[in-house]
Amino acid sequence: MDRRTKEAVRYLGYGNHAVDDGTLALIGDSFDELDQTAGRRIVYRIFDVLFQSGGCMEIGGFPVTSKDLGKNLRGCESVVVLGATLGPETDLLMRRYSLTDMAKTVVLQACGAAMLEEYLDEQQEEIRQEAAKQGLYVRPRFSPGYGDLSIRYQEMILRMLDAPKRIGLSMTDGNMLTPTKSVTALMGLSRQNIACHIRGCEACNKTDCMFRRS
Amino acid sequence: MLSERLGKELLYFDGGMGTLLQSKGLKPGELPEVWNLTHADELVDVHRQYFEAGSDIVLTNTFGANALKFHDSKYGLKEIVDAAVRNVKKAAALGVRDGREIYTALDVGPTGKLLKPMGDLGFEAAYEAFREVMRYGEEAGADLIHIETMSDTYEVKAAVLAAKENTNLPVTVTMIFDEKGKLLTGGDVPSVIAMLEGLRVDALGVNCGMGPKQMLPIVKEMMKYSSVPVIVKPNAGLPKQRDGEVYYDVSPEEFADTMEKVLEEGACVIGGCCGTTPDHIRAMTQMADRRPVHPPAAKEDTIVSSYGKAVVLSRKPVIVGERINPTGKKKFKQALKEHDIDYILKEGITQQDSGAHILDVNVGLPDIDEASLMQEVITELQSVTSLPLQIDTVDIKAMEAAMRIYNGKPMINSVNGKKESMDAVFPLIQKYGGVVVALTLDEEGIPATAEGRVKIAGKIINEAGKYGIPKKDIVVDVLTMTISSEPGSAQITLDALKGVRKKYGVCTILGVSNISFGLPCRPVINANFYTMALQNGLSAGIINPSSEDMMRSYHSFCALMNYDKNCEEYIRYYAGQTGTVAAGPKAALGQQAGTPGLSLKTAIERGLKEEAYHAAAELSKTQEPLEIINQYLIPALDAVGKGFEKGTVFLPQLLMSADAAKIAFAVLKDVLEKKGGETEKKDKIILATVKGDIHDIGKNIVKVLLENYSFDVIDLGKDVPPEVIAACAVKEDVRLVGLSALMTTTVVSMEDTIRLLRREKPDCKIMVGGAVLNQEYADMIGADFYGKDAMQSVYYAQEIFAKQN
Repeated sequence: MDRRTKEAVRYLGYGNHAVDDGTLALIGDSFDELDQTAGRRIVYRIFDVLFQSGGCMEIGGFPVTSKDLGKNLRGCESVVVLGATLGPETDLLMRRYSLTDMAKTVVLQACGAAMLEEYLDEQQEEIRQEAAKQGLYVRPRFSPGYGDLSIRYQEMILRMLDAPKRIGLSMTDGNMLTPTKSVTALMGLSRQNIACHIRGCEACNKTDCMFRRS
Repeated sequence: MLSERLGKELLYFDGGMGTLLQSKGLKPGELPEVWNLTHADELVDVHRQYFEAGSDIVLTNTFGANALKFHDSKYGLKEIVDAAVRNVKKAAALGVRDGREIYTALDVGPTGKLLKPMGDLGFEAAYEAFREVMRYGEEAGADLIHIETMSDTYEVKAAVLAAKENTNLPVTVTMIFDEKGKLLTGGDVPSVIAMLEGLRVDALGVNCGMGPKQMLPIVKEMMKYSSVPVIVKPNAGLPKQRDGEVYYDVSPEEFADTMEKVLEEGACVIGGCCGTTPDHIRAMTQMADRRPVHPPAAKEDTIVSSYGKAVVLSRKPVIVGERINPTGKKKFKQALKEHDIDYILKEGITQQDSGAHILDVNVGLPDIDEASLMQEVITELQSVTSLPLQIDTVDIKAMEAAMRIYNGKPMINSVNGKKESMDAVFPLIQKYGGVVVALTLDEEGIPATAEGRVKIAGKIINEAGKYGIPKKDIVVDVLTMTISSEPGSAQITLDALKGVRKKYGVCTILGVSNISFGLPCRPVINANFYTMALQNGLSAGIINPSSEDMMRSYHSFCALMNYDKNCEEYIRYYAGQTGTVAAGPKAALGQQAGTPGLSLKTAIERGLKEEAYHAAAELSKTQEPLEIINQYLIPALDAVGKGFEKGTVFLPQLLMSADAAKIAFAVLKDVLEKKGGETEKKDKIILATVKGDIHDIGKNIVKVLLENYSFDVIDLGKDVPPEVIAACAVKEDVRLVGLSALMTTTVVSMEDTIRLLRREKPDCKIMVGGAVLNQEYADMIGADFYGKDAMQSVYYAQEIFAKQN
């Protein structure tokens, strides 16, 4: 089973249980369909970070308050701010199936999430290689909504990236990203190679989550 | 006057603004529009340099100046727009020394929000935001409105309508494409041009996104489709990054060189976007040196479009799906009366899957608010299919309402040769754009001869011309009459078809199946007449694409006439099939059944749709439907539900079972109805995703399961305001409401909804669910029940109604 299939299975709540053939077939079909239709777009920029006291910092001149992000970025001199999306095509596909096939819809949802993560991992690897040339190390991605970093920072991030224009990524009044299969994230760049291999899931303190990576 | 010069002489726009302001100290994320007031001198300086470099049209620094973006600014929008126009005029006075005529263009960029249904910004709200800034712009003395960097056809439609309806200024539009020639929202060049020409913009084109080199293929494609002058404003190359800064590295000379190629393609207005500077514009104007332009030739293609797709009516015929229409369809009528939008959407998807290229949409019934229903159906259809739609109504109010909110250039069904009809319909086509079906009848009725019908077609085409509606936007319907009552009428129709094609060269359309009314085995006549009509020049048949007979005619015709290259489509459809005709989709489903004898219970437990269909149909021959439901269906669903709770069955399996059960239910319901049995009166439950929340998958899962357990779910959709939910609960006397929310920010709306429901409908219970909720949270906002998963809401609903019934 490839990595994205494993991830999709996890998002579907299987935990350590074996996945049934019917679902596995749906996952295969869903990835095929997504590979054909989903857009993959990313925009990122690098900004300086200045630390102040009490979890306060300035990223590219914007004030941000979050102890958890502060911890994640400790020792960094700059931050990669990024936004990525699978585009409105993916939303359309899910809406279309939600009328006729709910099982397919939830599987598409999970596969979309896995595909987006995979895409971000690939992009992150490129960014890592670029940064390494300048002697910089990349920290794990940290997104609004993780820990105490409010999702209200979506607006700031989208604006810093000019994301609506560059990749068609915008948000609702309630700070939800549109299209729905989208991510914004911050990644610290530091001179020191601190062991910080925590990826999204493990950084979360909701330890009883049914989707948690084991 | 600008509108007199556009397309007749070469005109120059200015270049980039953002990059220059950044070099003067503007920070990323800062609102540049505020600089009109705080840094007026810097702005005048930039504008002046562009005038000195030769620009004829200079944009105000108002790209993001709209009410939506300016909610956090301490400066008023009017103040900003006034200053922005003033800055350009001041710069013109300083920088134009040769007395040439120059223009101040009010620059209007996107709102930065995604429109419904993908986002949460309503079409009319977007319109309002644009209207405000455009009015200020005209009052301040702008000479034109330039709408640019748009990546969504729907948003650009709102902007163009706002400009046209609220100002008298010329309107130009440029959109942002990627290297594949697509908008970020999926639209392609022909779909964009079809819509914008329909809206009667003065010039259109492409800006931003890439450099002049990458833009060349798009310019080329635009020239192929556009009949209005084309604007080209590239960036100084693709954006690159160095030390965290974005930069562009195409030099002024290189820029000018490539812009020369752009001119050779036929662009009439050129300028620059991000990263271009006064130096780029100077190099460009010196290169171009006011050379003569060739105005774009009028194109003859008949194009209808949706936000993502253009359908060109050419020699290869297209299929217009006829099924979204209540005429003669009991179930469809009932769906309309019960406001069952899902039923209508499924009809659309089925037709798309069967091969339709355009969908006809008719929702007319007596005693129905057709205008609002038409708007709703069109909006919802456009959120699940990218096929262009044909707005089919005799109600002019409904026609206009639908044309206004339609995303793209629609097909309109119909106008006819009566003066009254043309007087009502043509102004709408003139305003919103569209390809209109022209019925060849007039005050005298339907002519009994082909010549008579051809003549009326001519009259309609002529009258349309008075409104500036070109022939390509008329598709003539010479009318199919029933041969059983009017012998010889088929021949007249075919002759008329040939006649209008020959005489006017216009595209044609026919409602094909009328021909066989009153005859046995109608598909046989329909399919043969369809082939004959195609052979006589039918461009678009309004047919049922799920009819195998019709599709055989269509695919054969395309293969025979060499419209289907290497017979590829034909082979794709028919490889592996024998020559016999299947008797409809249900039979096809049955034929494929895998394991015969698999019991209904097992089929549902394993989530096998086809087997469930088959087993239910078999059982219903010997047992009563209600017995089957109680003996097999419900126990199967219960078993799956229990497994889900125990953690041995998972969500996809639960839903596969639910979908299988749904199919079995449908079979049994049909049997019940045929026997004239009363279906049980069901308990109503409202489901909604609360205001501000656009994630509805959780709600949809709950819906499927509740429907399985025979509840009548009233699905209010997503992003639903509290008032709508409360009003519906009162009106329908609903005793259970389920609310869903994904994020902490929208739980607030959930709380508001609960509060309102308590006041308006105190006897109604409320259950809540969603990623962010837990028992504690649910208690805090005053819900009656927290469902941690979809099955819990089923159990709770059963409990509530068991008590109450």
